[in-house]
Amino acid sequence: MKKFLAALAVVVGAMSLPLSGEARVMIQNKGSDTLVNVAQAWAEEYINIKSNVAVAVTGGGSGTGIAALINGTVDLANASRSIKDKEVKLAQKRGIEPVQHIVGYDALAVFIHKNNPVKSFSLQKLAEVYGEDGEINRWNQLGIEIPGCQSNKMILVSRQNNSGTYAYFRKAVLGKKRDYKLGTRDMHGSKDVVDLVEHTPCAIGYSGLAYATEHLKMACISSKEGEKCVNPSVASASDGSYPIARPLFMYTNGQPKGEIKAYLDWILSDVGQCIIKAKGYAPVRAVDCK
Amino acid sequence: MFQETQQNIKHKKTERLFRILFLMMVLLLITPVLMILGTLIVKGGPAISLEFLFTNPTNGMTEGGLFPALLGTIWLVVVALLASVPLGIAAALYLSEYAPDNWLTRAINLAIVNLAGVPSIVHALFGVGAFVIFFDFGTSILAASLTLAVMTLPVVIVATRESLQAVPQAFREACWNMGATRWQTIRRVVLPNAISGILTGIILEVSRTAGETAPIMFTGAAFYLPFLPESVFDQTMALALHLFVVATQVPNVPPSMPYGVALVLISIVLLFNAMSITFRMYLRGQKKW
Repeated sequence: MKKFLAALAVVVGAMSLPLSGEARVMIQNKGSDTLVNVAQAWAEEYINIKSNVAVAVTGGGSGTGIAALINGTVDLANASRSIKDKEVKLAQKRGIEPVQHIVGYDALAVFIHKNNPVKSFSLQKLAEVYGEDGEINRWNQLGIEIPGCQSNKMILVSRQNNSGTYAYFRKAVLGKKRDYKLGTRDMHGSKDVVDLVEHTPCAIGYSGLAYATEHLKMACISSKEGEKCVNPSVASASDGSYPIARPLFMYTNGQPKGEIKAYLDWILSDVGQCIIKAKGYAPVRAVDCK
Repeated sequence: MFQETQQNIKHKKTERLFRILFLMMVLLLITPVLMILGTLIVKGGPAISLEFLFTNPTNGMTEGGLFPALLGTIWLVVVALLASVPLGIAAALYLSEYAPDNWLTRAINLAIVNLAGVPSIVHALFGVGAFVIFFDFGTSILAASLTLAVMTLPVVIVATRESLQAVPQAFREACWNMGATRWQTIRRVVLPNAISGILTGIILEVSRTAGETAPIMFTGAAFYLPFLPESVFDQTMALALHLFVVATQVPNVPPSMPYGVALVLISIVLLFNAMSITFRMYLRGQKKW
């Protein structure tokens, strides 16, 4: 037993030896599942640029990130919705001053199964599909039939309620006061939404454009019934023509300083913006990427 | 000459029937295990390479390896063991060897059994409140490992207590009669005879510690870290959470990758277990009864 314990102690001791002599600066980055993959890509690249600054990335949802900012446990909170007044008040009570930075834009795509013949949706129709007491519950109400979907009943795929995507879709499509229909399937993550819609002919779902795959279709969206619809893309999100595109935020406590400022500046530089563009989101301004 | 009676034949038939029935139950039990392992090896095997094991994830976690997660899981398991094994064994020794049989001891035993039934997500929230915020360890290996230790403590205590009680009372009495103190008896007679059972408890603990996701999600594990943990106060990546991430959070991951991660996770647990089992067999060889 003694030898065993001694061996353990040696292993732990060896693991505790610092691998590099340089002092390391940690940046805690947490929040939105929409942004988590971009945040990861930024962190992965940034260590190559500044080897002594490490960015720890965690997901969990916009609400999780903002809550962590209020608790003072993160340096940068990622959010795909803006902070609520209630949250700002709560933060100020704890001596924290949330400052908002726009780091990119995201087109919110409406996904349908690849066998689904629907081409476009107006925001009104989407609201009738997703909204409480909405009138559209069956695909044949839209005059279509989907192979593999005998019941014709729409399967509404949504997100868990601390998701920024959930909050933004509700505000932009349903209107502030209207709630979601009961019986939506609330997924924990954008990729779960995409996976479910891929395999379910009757389903309709929404997520960031970056999560699109070639195995499903994205609906063309018009702001009003009868108007020309716009396909979700990085370009249409950038120029504002796509009706459900939203800004993506990072929040700091007070104006950023030191390494956190350097990191944010790098994110907003051409290099950082090219990374977000490569991930399928729209950059904050036109950038020339190779 | 022994003549088989009608009754005798009937008994034999029943005997065979039950034998086959129980054998089928055993086969039924191991089928899922074999299917899981088989699926993982077939689908995840192609992903496994030295590069997969010993490099960082790259290109938005869709390429490269899982080294930080692998190392992180080893960290978490080792630190959790260092915390829970001494504490668990000490508690079990008190309960089994010293404690009088009164209402307090019974209440403690009941509490331990109940602790084992607490869902891991509740342990996770306890860990956030106690270790991350109150003790101010932050989200770190230390906080995550201590949460895991609290969660697995009942397993260690119960397994240790059972194996201590399996040591015949006559051994202790013989030792006391030679004039040995309680501690001398425990140290020289009880513990050496109970060690294999204690190790079984530890094996169970390792498996749970390495596999749990909920307790480490809020207390110490990160989605992605660009560096390897250097001390117990660092955050870490972990295999269980990494598996969740590549399976559900990251788009365009090659399909063999989640299976590969799962295969590595299971292999790590089996490796830890194999180590303890070998050690246990060695100790059993030393045993004189």
